[in-house]
Amino acid sequence: MLRRRNLLTTLLIALPWALLLTLWHQYPTTRYLSLLRKEADENVTAKALFNSTSLLREEGLSSCVRQPVAGAAPKVIRSYVYSRPPPWTDTLPTIFVITPTYTRPVQKAELTRLANTFLHVQNLHWVVVEDSPRRTNLVSNLLEKAGLNFTHLNVETPKSLKLGLSWMPSHTPRGTLQRNLGLHWLRDSFSNTQPPAGVVYFADDDNTYSLELFEEMRYTKRVSVWPVAFVGGLRYESPKVSPAGRVVGWKTVFDPNRPFAIDMAGFAVSIKLILERPQASFKLDGVKGGYQETSLLKDLVTLDGLEPKAANCTKVLVWHTRTERPTLVNEGKRGFTDPRVEV
Amino acid sequence: MKVKLKNVFVIYFLVSVIGLMYALLQLGQPCDCTQHLKSTSDLIHAKDKKLVQLQNEVKRLQARGKAPEPQMLPVIYVITPTYARLVQKAELVRLSQTLLHVKNLHWIVVEDSATKTQLVSELLAQSGLRFTHLHVETPKEHKRKESDPNWLKPRGVEQRNLALQWLRENRQLSDGGVVYFADDDNTYSLHLFDEIRSTKRVSVWPVGLVGGLRFERPLVEHGKVIGFYTAWKPNRPFPMDMAGFAVTLQLLLANREARFDLQAERGYLESSLLQSLVSIEELEPKAENCTKVMVWHTRTEKPKMKQEEQLQKQGLGSDPSIEV
Repeated sequence: MLRRRNLLTTLLIALPWALLLTLWHQYPTTRYLSLLRKEADENVTAKALFNSTSLLREEGLSSCVRQPVAGAAPKVIRSYVYSRPPPWTDTLPTIFVITPTYTRPVQKAELTRLANTFLHVQNLHWVVVEDSPRRTNLVSNLLEKAGLNFTHLNVETPKSLKLGLSWMPSHTPRGTLQRNLGLHWLRDSFSNTQPPAGVVYFADDDNTYSLELFEEMRYTKRVSVWPVAFVGGLRYESPKVSPAGRVVGWKTVFDPNRPFAIDMAGFAVSIKLILERPQASFKLDGVKGGYQETSLLKDLVTLDGLEPKAANCTKVLVWHTRTERPTLVNEGKRGFTDPRVEV
Repeated sequence: MKVKLKNVFVIYFLVSVIGLMYALLQLGQPCDCTQHLKSTSDLIHAKDKKLVQLQNEVKRLQARGKAPEPQMLPVIYVITPTYARLVQKAELVRLSQTLLHVKNLHWIVVEDSATKTQLVSELLAQSGLRFTHLHVETPKEHKRKESDPNWLKPRGVEQRNLALQWLRENRQLSDGGVVYFADDDNTYSLHLFDEIRSTKRVSVWPVGLVGGLRFERPLVEHGKVIGFYTAWKPNRPFPMDMAGFAVTLQLLLANREARFDLQAERGYLESSLLQSLVSIEELEPKAENCTKVMVWHTRTEKPKMKQEEQLQKQGLGSDPSIEV
């Protein structure tokens, strides 16, 4: 009798645990948890592979991807890359880059190096809008020879606008009409046809963009944001991101209470959203310095609808560089150099 | 209830059964899986990206089979001296984006620094280019202070000389190649590198936005260089900018003493090297007899850090671990 009771007790102790263990292994939710753990490791692999899959590997080098150990020398990628540009694919969302530009001595140089950058980005469509009464030959030829998918537009900023705010030149919003024309062209082009999946980005011609930035913005659902270097008198301005991954404010010194205290280069909008809100555009009237971006974004999204990119806004992938105006002192009154040579 | 073993077992059994029932019920409930779904969808996107890239790689490999073998093209050695300042990373990033389009290019980056900085090391490793990373610090008496104007002392001299030394130690006369000195803030069009590659001794071309002019250029008659069209110090032996010429590797290896002169006066750096290598008649004019501008001497503004400086005084400066 005692033995049987002992057996029964042992069985009763073991049974619940045995049941739990068998069910745990079988149920799919628990597989999710192990997947998450594996995914955390896999993301590291994915990043390292992303750097190397677009390149060929030199013969002689080992073919396995070596992950950099923290503190060790960075992994060296040696390869030949001659993309010009990468062929269009139907699986990747399109990036429409709207660049306002105006004639000045460094214009061709700026557009040249910008084109050299864009030639690396897949599925990019460059919309160049000149501040000019006519499309200039300089820009037309440059765009045709570059080899990119492009659209060439132009609209002249009326002189009244240029002069009206000249008492505060640093705050004159520039490129407004040009960017609005770019948006207008987008809305026109896709009014009757199915718009492609994609995103719109406003890229000024003197900034510097890393290639990683374009991949960060590609999958924007509504509006995505990230840090920008050298704006607002700081090393970088960035959105304030809560631990939960939501944008809760702005890390800026210059007027941080703006609804969207962000630079033009710090956000991208999905095409779908642009087409959903046809009245959203940059405003000119009554727009103070620094509020240009707000004048567009307030009609598109609210603060908590923003998607933070660049590792929760901790990496700088775009720099608001400005090019010095070249001193052409030796040109003199009548011009020293041959004006027929394009610079 | 007395603390009998039997009671303990009963309580234990009841507790574990209740616990099991609770856990089983939990497993059956719909959970807030959006986090999992989001991360898995991101994973899918990343895999999609990779897939597309691999597909492109395959296409490129197939196309390569038809293109001429890149190793047959002479190597272009691009020597870039650089120094740490706010815009350094941005400049090197956009320069590398241009260089990445050029076949058979070897980038020699020489830092004005006592050690190899992490910023440049990582940038080079991820650039996808063939590179050599060197460093040499300009001695204090030759360095200009922050407040000095940029033309006061010649810059990048030791760095370029170190690169020349590296080439002389690591390359032989039988190796082909052309050497070009590319500063990190200039702008280069891709056609320029085609012109550079065809150099036989020393080739020259116009440079935009330099010398106070829209462009400076060599004067060419009947396919030969007969002079230079510049407004600033036109009596220099070679009145042109660093970005306006390229030298074949063979010429540099054959003349092992040719280098940039540290003591050279403002504007005479280029001449200090070229004097010992070539005469004006031997120069090869490129860029359609020096009528096209393919390189611009752009300069980048120093970014205004007024707010940053104010914050740092209060001890609230931006996170220095975030690289800019």
